[in-house]
Amino acid sequence: MAESTAQALNSFLADVERRAFRMAQMALRHDEDALDAVQDAMLQLVRRYSGRPGTEWRPLFYRILENRIRDLQRRRTVRGRVLAWVPWHRDSDEDSDPVERAPDPAPGPVAELEGREIGAAMQLAIGHLPARQREAFLLRSLEGLDVAQTAAAMGCSEGSVKTHYSRALQRLREQLGEFWT
Amino acid sequence: MSKDNDPTEFERRAGALLRDSADGLDGATRSRLTQARHAALSRLGQDSHWGNRWLIVPGGAAAAVLVGLLLWNGNATVPGGNGSTLDDMELLADAEAYELSQEPDLEFIEWAAAMGDHPAGT
Repeated sequence: MAESTAQALNSFLADVERRAFRMAQMALRHDEDALDAVQDAMLQLVRRYSGRPGTEWRPLFYRILENRIRDLQRRRTVRGRVLAWVPWHRDSDEDSDPVERAPDPAPGPVAELEGREIGAAMQLAIGHLPARQREAFLLRSLEGLDVAQTAAAMGCSEGSVKTHYSRALQRLREQLGEFWT
Repeated sequence: MSKDNDPTEFERRAGALLRDSADGLDGATRSRLTQARHAALSRLGQDSHWGNRWLIVPGGAAAAVLVGLLLWNGNATVPGGNGSTLDDMELLADAEAYELSQEPDLEFIEWAAAMGDHPAGT
């Protein structure tokens, strides 16, 4: 594999990794799971798509990441169900919803400057959006993808992206209005 | 962005807050992301289809044992869940063996199977 490809991939992943982690963190509300999701997405991109043009990496990476997030969410749900079903685990505190037990993401430095509650409230509100709305909102607002790139990353039409994004905005405005004045 | 790529004030503030939040990740998390990136890049050029195939058999066997365990215990509905045991089995069976082999869930499945053979307190 050409050295230039390795360098290009390294630059690309270094550029997206922090934002990708924040996206996964807001969706999963669990730092370790978020790191796992990002690491898996990196690995899959390198192993399966490193030969693709660099312009395709971003939507591919985020599509892989979102699949990993969904996979982790499903597994967590199933794991919780199975553990609840196992007789010797029913009385344990661990049979509660792991999502509810997971810590909320800590606000970043800007949140501290502008008021810690603003950042925390926004991340919490984003984390509670329906998956497709959250995905559309973060890909556009955090990652800065345009509608076409977001559609490619989400595997849907541009019209669907606009709908999801618009609904996400509406819901966030409703929930964050009091923090935003 | 909401209309013709012209972001509102709300969108601008939200985007700035999110980007600063990502830029301000703590050192430990940044370090782990860097390690993850290097680990991924070390796999560049390796065959993506056969690297972990040796894990498929034990992974599949463990999944089969768990499904068998669920079946053996009847078709009771999972307490606290909205779906049935069959729904859960479908989800577990839906996860490809390749994916199972890469996940910590493999340990969980083996643990669940072992506990089925030797329940706690017996």
